Amino acid sequence: MSATTLLPLQQDSIVVRFGRWLRRDIRGALSLAFLLLLIVVALLAPWIAPYSPTEQDYANMLAEPSARHWLGTDDLGRDVFSRLIHGTASSLYAAFLAVGVAVLVGVPVGLVAGFMGGWVDLAISRCIDTLLSFPAIVLAVAVTGAMGIGLTNAMLAVGLVFSPQLARLVRARTLVVRQELYVDAARCFGASLPRLLLKHVLPNAIQPVLVQATLLLAVALLAEASLNFLGLGVQPPDVSWGMMIARGYMYMEIAPAQMYVPGLAILLTAIAFNTLGESLRVALDPTLRGR
Amino acid sequence: MNEKPNPRLTANGFAISRRNFLGLIGSTAAAGMLGFPGQLIARRRGTLIVGAPADPSSLDPATGGAGTDHVFLYPIFDTLVEWDYATLAPRPGLAKAWHYPDPRTLVLTLQENVRFHDGTPFDAEAVKFNLERNLRDPRSNIRTELASVESVAVTGPLEVTLKLKEPDTVLVLILSDRAGMMASPKALQELGERHDRSPVGTGPMRFVDWSDGEKVVLTRNEHYWKPNRPLVDGIEFRIITDSATRLRSVISGQADVAYHLDGRQIPLIERSRQLQLVTGPTIYCYQLYLNMSRGPLQDVRVRQALNFAIDREAFVKATMAGAGEPAYMNLPRSHWAYDEEVAKLYPYDPDRARALLKEAGFSNGVELDMRGYSDQGSVQRQEFLLEQFAQVGIRGRFRTGTIPEMSATYFGPEKGGDFLLSAFTGRPDPSQTYALMYLEDAYFNAGRVPPPPGFLEALLRSRSTTDIEERRQALSVVQRIVMENALVVPLAFRNEVSAASARVENMRSNLLGKPKFEDVSLQDT
Amino acid sequence: MLTRKKLGMIASRLLQALPIAVLATFVVYSLMQLIPGDIAVTLAGENASDERIAEIRELYRLNQPFLVQYGSWLWNAVQGDLGVSLLTREPVAETIARTYPTTLLIVAYAIVLSVVIGVPLGILAASRPGSLLDSGIMSIASLGVTVPNFWFGMILALWLALGLNLFPATGFASPGDGLGTALWYATLPALALCTNGIAEVSRQLRSSLVEIQSSQFVRTLHAKGLSPASILWKHGLKNVGVNLLTVISLLFNKTLAATVVVEAVFAIPGIGSAIVNAVLQGDFPVVQGAVLAMVATVIVVNLVTDVLYTVLDPRIEQA
Repeated sequence: MSATTLLPLQQDSIVVRFGRWLRRDIRGALSLAFLLLLIVVALLAPWIAPYSPTEQDYANMLAEPSARHWLGTDDLGRDVFSRLIHGTASSLYAAFLAVGVAVLVGVPVGLVAGFMGGWVDLAISRCIDTLLSFPAIVLAVAVTGAMGIGLTNAMLAVGLVFSPQLARLVRARTLVVRQELYVDAARCFGASLPRLLLKHVLPNAIQPVLVQATLLLAVALLAEASLNFLGLGVQPPDVSWGMMIARGYMYMEIAPAQMYVPGLAILLTAIAFNTLGESLRVALDPTLRGR
Repeated sequence: MNEKPNPRLTANGFAISRRNFLGLIGSTAAAGMLGFPGQLIARRRGTLIVGAPADPSSLDPATGGAGTDHVFLYPIFDTLVEWDYATLAPRPGLAKAWHYPDPRTLVLTLQENVRFHDGTPFDAEAVKFNLERNLRDPRSNIRTELASVESVAVTGPLEVTLKLKEPDTVLVLILSDRAGMMASPKALQELGERHDRSPVGTGPMRFVDWSDGEKVVLTRNEHYWKPNRPLVDGIEFRIITDSATRLRSVISGQADVAYHLDGRQIPLIERSRQLQLVTGPTIYCYQLYLNMSRGPLQDVRVRQALNFAIDREAFVKATMAGAGEPAYMNLPRSHWAYDEEVAKLYPYDPDRARALLKEAGFSNGVELDMRGYSDQGSVQRQEFLLEQFAQVGIRGRFRTGTIPEMSATYFGPEKGGDFLLSAFTGRPDPSQTYALMYLEDAYFNAGRVPPPPGFLEALLRSRSTTDIEERRQALSVVQRIVMENALVVPLAFRNEVSAASARVENMRSNLLGKPKFEDVSLQDT
Repeated sequence: MLTRKKLGMIASRLLQALPIAVLATFVVYSLMQLIPGDIAVTLAGENASDERIAEIRELYRLNQPFLVQYGSWLWNAVQGDLGVSLLTREPVAETIARTYPTTLLIVAYAIVLSVVIGVPLGILAASRPGSLLDSGIMSIASLGVTVPNFWFGMILALWLALGLNLFPATGFASPGDGLGTALWYATLPALALCTNGIAEVSRQLRSSLVEIQSSQFVRTLHAKGLSPASILWKHGLKNVGVNLLTVISLLFNKTLAATVVVEAVFAIPGIGSAIVNAVLQGDFPVVQGAVLAMVATVIVVNLVTDVLYTVLDPRIEQA
């Protein structure tokens, strides 16, 4: 065989591979469908929701589900179903914002640490270890407190809290990739550092990040709920699922449905994120197939 | 039987009204005491376990600062003056009598045979020590309460004479609060700062232990000076900040009493066979503190619009489950200084609100910077108000934060926000309330705006006369000025809501809203 | 077994960990300084006035520059003095001594539950890999990762405590009051916390076991006639043990973090509630001290785990 026949293996187009994966992995497909549905709901909320999320009705507080109010009303007589729909946007925004921040902060830091090595790596690794040894929620509370209460700030804080995990992951991958022959080869040919990072290291490091990020979406959602419970979440009159649980806690014995409904919403969404993450992990790493 | 005990400020001896006397007989009978004349034997059954909503800031009356501390302090410290549970009229305490020989002199005659928990005698020297400490110690938070006191003199083993800089009849009721709580001078001198966590008073309970955020343990004072008190072996306060959890601890039998519950929980309490609902009006008032030095709130019409825009009845119904009283001024209906006419100034009238805003130049509505606290209860109130305001064109969002943060931001040097949704816990004497909120240099007057003309004269009048009718009239003038100028937006008075297990007897609410347990006893189960 | 080499390793690890601990407190301190609000206002309380607040700032030396305050805290901390709470004057060391064991008891209880429930589940799933039983158990297990702990705790409180009266709904009893009582109070919180652990433990165990079963070496032994049990015992256990240990030590950190919110649900006076309250109030000595305690614990747990690794499998090289 001559060297010219060492061509890259013929690969199916990405669409075909995606279709194959969908057909094979039912759970993954379902999760994806569910999440897409949520995104649609979030975008179309003002048109889908039967009532305004802030419209109060003092004659009808904590009402049972009925034809007029499918999931009943809450403590100020607002329609629970409408609030659930409007809360979708906040919850999705919260999860994606947190993970987005984690990726934007964690990946570059990990790349730099892994690639540069030496004392840069040492310093960054120490910082990462420090942040990782904190109980996450305490850090989130402190950062939120420092930045001011509000959903955006809270999720920025959560994102910062998550970033060390991703940094560590990326760093480990970078260390491995750095030793690959072809990277040295490219270096010999005079490729610059950023180019090396972007073109060779990043694509290889990205896969575990993608998986981890998807799994973190579920954790971010739970973190948002927890922070709301501690009083550090959305500001009135905004609504989010976590905030609905926190309010429901006040009425737990009188009207437990207030607590069940948003909790189930969070649970289902978290399951969807998680399942998707697991599917991605299996799909991207062929050695795990046929487990 | 319908007489209100006359709150005369010159008490000569024990002025107990007929109603109270019969009440006392009734309660002693209920506690199962044997009725030998002059010898009543009390039954004691264990420790009263109480679910408390907040950790004390300090167990020393002078160095603490939270309105929630008092419940812990009352069992440990007696006050010089006490008050009637229903009307807050003054009654004898450690000072069994007092009088004003002239407007600038107050003479206190003290109770005999009282000892502090450490055995030292309670006498005029002790009172002088305490009052001077309250006035001078750098750590004392209550110096301003005694600001009118020029000197304290011991004029007899059980007599103290206070010389005042100006006439001050408010002083009597001030001595029913922190400033009148008497701690052992010996303990204060020996312990210094540690007295904050190791208090020594004359009260029915002695201090045992304080685990921060967890519990405060008190035990019976065997040598308490009031006959047949206390009626329990001890009190253990368990600190459970969340009201739902606090009530649950009583439902499940882990605690005997839970206080400062929420109106929402009343159906739960009534539903349960084993619980008693103890409730009653208080002077704790939800209100909007206004910063009148900035923005649209400088215009009185805007402030009046705020007052007209709110349906206070709905507020009580929606956010307090009906356990409250709409507030149209700083005092509730049952208070001795309440003025009916002032209360009629601001009925719910959204049209009037819109008209006033238009008059003030805001025909397209007005945007306000609103501040509030971040706990769920507060957020619920904020959501309610936002809806009400939206109906008349008042727009804005609430910026929330923790209580220390928001209070510091709004009242502190930063002066952030047009108004703050918060509450005023109330003071024993109404003129204190008005002074604390509306005087030019008052801390709660965030904008430091001087009060309208006539306010100061009326306030001073209310402090310099001892006649109750004259005081009431002066205070009416004060109140009218406050409300006509819309210096505040009062929302509602909260009812005290407490739950007690079936074992508990004689738990009563009081108008101050800070529960006392001095008459409480426990039955056999 | 405590060779000089091992001791040296432990010592060097501790030394490496020191800057982390200090850095952690510095990070926290900086954050606390950024938090708006002024603890002096809280201390002044109902009778606040501008003068009073300024006085309090002087009194408690809150006016000193950033680094000076941190520096003096650090200097004292190194000598063993963690200061006192700005709000209640309770010595921080006492606060920690009072609240930390509470939290640790619940965390330990939760981890024990995770292992006790997770291990059998993992073994069961691995006994028939690929079957409906396997995927069924794994699905239920993964539910454990996604359920919000505090919400689950609320549901447990509603059903088991208030509904069936099986456990107390709130509060905590220390082991001093009787171990049985302490465990009874700690059961619901521990149950609320262990969901994550059950998932991780069972998953990890299952995949380790499946890996062992399908490895070439084991297949050979099997062909030779050794029973699955003895194969597992003799050869699989180390591998399984190491993986399990990893999971448990990671679990510790996560569970410790999760207790914070669960403590709020059950009104437990643990270190989590203490920290959150202190952060929100601006009581920084308490925050510093408590964070130091938690970080130190995590470091110690990691260290112990590493030592146990070498015990389980001497082949593992220690860097």
